[in-house]
Amino acid sequence: MNNTVLLFVALPIALGLLLILLERWQRFSAFLAVLIPLSLSGLALIFSQSLNVSFLGQFLVLEDSLSVFGRSIQIGANQLGMVALLYFVCFLWNLPVKFFDYNHWFKSLSLIISGFWVLVQFINPFLYSALVVELIVLISVPLLSPRGAPAKAGIMRYLTMQTLALPLVLLSGWMVAGIETSPSAQALVSRGAFLVLTGFMLWAGVFPLHSWLPMLSEESQPWSHSFLLVITQVSLTFFFLHFLNQYPWLRNLEQLGLVLKWMGSLSIVAAGGLAAFQTNLKRISSYIYMAEAGYIILTFAYLPQGGLDIITMSLLPRIFGLWSLNFAISYLSKNIASEKMELEDLNGIIYRFPRTSGLLIISFLNIIGMPLFSLFPSKRILWGIVTADNLVFQVLGILGFLGFMIVILRTLNIMIKKPEHGEQEKVEKPIMILPIALIILIMVLAGTIPQLFSAPIQNILLSFNNLFL
Amino acid sequence: MRELLNTLPIYIALIAALLNLVRRQWSLNLIALVLQFIFITPSLLNLFPIQIALIQPFTGIMVSLMLYLTLNQVGGVEAIKLNRSLTPGEIFRAMAGIFLLTIVFFFLDDFQKAVFPTVPLEYLYLSFGLMLTGIMQLGTIREPLYLAIGLLTFLSGFQLLYSALEFSYLLEALFAAVNLLLGMVGSFFIVKNAESRPE
Repeated sequence: MNNTVLLFVALPIALGLLLILLERWQRFSAFLAVLIPLSLSGLALIFSQSLNVSFLGQFLVLEDSLSVFGRSIQIGANQLGMVALLYFVCFLWNLPVKFFDYNHWFKSLSLIISGFWVLVQFINPFLYSALVVELIVLISVPLLSPRGAPAKAGIMRYLTMQTLALPLVLLSGWMVAGIETSPSAQALVSRGAFLVLTGFMLWAGVFPLHSWLPMLSEESQPWSHSFLLVITQVSLTFFFLHFLNQYPWLRNLEQLGLVLKWMGSLSIVAAGGLAAFQTNLKRISSYIYMAEAGYIILTFAYLPQGGLDIITMSLLPRIFGLWSLNFAISYLSKNIASEKMELEDLNGIIYRFPRTSGLLIISFLNIIGMPLFSLFPSKRILWGIVTADNLVFQVLGILGFLGFMIVILRTLNIMIKKPEHGEQEKVEKPIMILPIALIILIMVLAGTIPQLFSAPIQNILLSFNNLFL
Repeated sequence: MRELLNTLPIYIALIAALLNLVRRQWSLNLIALVLQFIFITPSLLNLFPIQIALIQPFTGIMVSLMLYLTLNQVGGVEAIKLNRSLTPGEIFRAMAGIFLLTIVFFFLDDFQKAVFPTVPLEYLYLSFGLMLTGIMQLGTIREPLYLAIGLLTFLSGFQLLYSALEFSYLLEALFAAVNLLLGMVGSFFIVKNAESRPE
């Protein structure tokens, strides 16, 4: 195993397959599902300094590439920060899994999917990654569509939309191959950029190609679903940066910044606007994901003004914010025995689950970027840049923000309503105070001392050297 | 005669795709899917050596077999009723499919010159015909088997197009893996639906 590709791609996929066989030993497999991604994340961090490491007197040397069917997969030391983050996401989602209703495929498939997302970043030529993304989509189906219920419209639309993205991304690369040598090919460049952006919009569920997102979240278990959405969002962020880094025709396209600004701010306003009228908590969480995708796109538009630093700064807080929100939703979903998670089901819930209800509201406030919480510093910087640039985008952002404020107030209003019938006594386990207090403390610490979250990953995007020029 | 032999498999493959779009009879659909994969082979043979050209049809037939076995397992395979009259929905889908293929036929010449000058016209017609029929299938279905068939048809059309533009063993391997997984997803859906059906 003296190769980064074998260690960080082949091994996790093989171990994921092994976990399927170990499923009958629930506790042991759950322990492995936590230990393996944590170890991989740690190893990736250790080797991110250098691929030659001395350990207990032994000198370990890792090769950085592997040839497969005549093409190479290469993972250098300066790219291992991204690998560490992807496995850290897998670790975070496997850690509290026993608290919730989860799909029995989750432990193994989460590891396999993480391995494939690592592969997506480093395959050469990297356009072939589009096919690996399609493989991930197909592998994720058992996670999103639990057994015992028929396949519903959301999963079908998800499969269809994700598959439609594949040709768009693959053809864009072919269409503009060698374009750097032909400066007169503006029409071709615009066509290529259109295909790439549409492909990414379909993959990430960006407005107006987002319809699969709320439908799918409504039909699937929130914990498995949120893992897939978050790891996809993080990986697609890296992948799009890879595109920009690799292709000067896309990076230097004049209108790209403006298009990204519109895409991002329309996504934020649409997510806020649509979420404000929802009556289902799982759908609301999917609109939060959509708004965060909008923020990431908006950040891409401001890469020359320090966008890369904002991305680095917001990566961990965003992951943690979505994790804590889905922690609260999944815990409540299991304990109030509500699969659908309609807002009505939360009636008076603050009396029965005071701590988890508090976590839900605080997670909402955290993710929309309220002061004191972890996403505030990065969003404040972004809005500062947007305001200086164009007020229209700022107004759209404010409208989106207001939409989510309405959602929070509506949720709070339902939660504090005293139920007419039924019990009002606490049924929450007292031990829950520990993880919840820790989560809230981390959020507040990251909001007041942002370096806490950004320092460990400050070099994560260094491999995109063309974007720093 | 030579030209007819070149173009006949293309039309048979497209008719098979149209049949899948129009008819909703599982046994018939699987036979049409197998035919579709068999009849794309001559077009592939014009561009690639036999060992490469056979990968896509072979994978497609494997996937069809996988779907057949799953359907058989859940008791979904019935005798084919050829004399059943067409429903209004089937007539609509048939007309729409034929209209789409006709439009592609008439506009493809200019499109080929502008965008894909290196790809032979008949080959391009087959790949675009399959892609568009697949997309139409995806837009008009609710049943998981037809989702799998629609995606397989769409992807086989795109695979034809892309392998004519750029060939790589890794790409072929990835496409084969995607097709096989798609078959598994189709089977998974069929089993799920059968399990959740009331007795």
